[in-house]
Amino acid sequence: MDKAVFLVELEDILQREEPCAENDNLEDYEEWDSLSKMAIMAYYDKNFGVKLSLNDLKNVSTVSDLIKLAGNGVQ
Amino acid sequence: MISFNKEQIFIVTGASSGIGRCTAETLNSLGATVVAIARREDKLIELKENAKFPENIHIEVKDLAENIEELPEYVKSLKAKYGKFSGMAYCAGVGDLKPLRAVEYNDIKRIFDINYFAAVMFAKGIVDKRNNIGKGFSMVAIASMGAIGCAPSMTSYSGSKAALIASFKVIAKEIATQGMRANTVSPTLIQTDMADETSRQYAEGKYPLGLGDVSDVANVIVFLLSDKSKWINAQNYIIDCGSEM
Repeated sequence: MDKAVFLVELEDILQREEPCAENDNLEDYEEWDSLSKMAIMAYYDKNFGVKLSLNDLKNVSTVSDLIKLAGNGVQ
Repeated sequence: MISFNKEQIFIVTGASSGIGRCTAETLNSLGATVVAIARREDKLIELKENAKFPENIHIEVKDLAENIEELPEYVKSLKAKYGKFSGMAYCAGVGDLKPLRAVEYNDIKRIFDINYFAAVMFAKGIVDKRNNIGKGFSMVAIASMGAIGCAPSMTSYSGSKAALIASFKVIAKEIATQGMRANTVSPTLIQTDMADETSRQYAEGKYPLGLGDVSDVANVIVFLLSDKSKWINAQNYIIDCGSEM
């Protein structure tokens, strides 16, 4: 998946009204709550075959970190 | 005591008849703007023409059982057209009075499509925070006493409504952190088009306060949509005048 496409998808998963950027800090998003994290986990499993745990997401601070968790899923 | 203003926009599904129609009329008469959804356009036009404030009723003709997977997108398109929603009353539903021996898989699917799957997918669209006002948002779905009483011949119907009650409780807990609420109401048999002669005969003499009227349910729904119920969440209100059928 293209990075630009992923950023739009992420915006939708988080139900944000503002676009997401690679350098954004997820902790700055009011939408970055446990339900959003669960939704990310479901999305990664379905689209990239990556099974994340809540622990994996604990160590994530930026959108860019999140992209890294997709492995080769997001280029 | 309960009042709304026209900036408060509520979706009412199943608005062409019965409890849905009465809910749409009541919300409108108390000042709210209503987006009334149903399959039958003539009935929706009738609702609008007879409303207290016709300019605050917008009609949308739609069969919710079609393209259920696209309902969140549909809600998004309604938001683009009308603005962010203050709430929803999901009143669309169908009944199916059959003993198990007469129930076929397709009957169950048809009932679940409109009573459960469409309700949940519609809810998914409207609780998306981009489509609603956030804090103060409230939605109500009509379940049924059938989900609790489980009278004979209601396998599909009772099952769909029990599923609806459970899922709305889950959703209510998910959205509560944003100051949003979800509840269900469970009426017993009410005098509507859905209540056929067989049901009426069955119900005769079983209700100590008489057979319920659509307004007996609509008034509870409107209360649950209003800020007078702002501390009530994840509940299922039984409306059966104590008959426990």
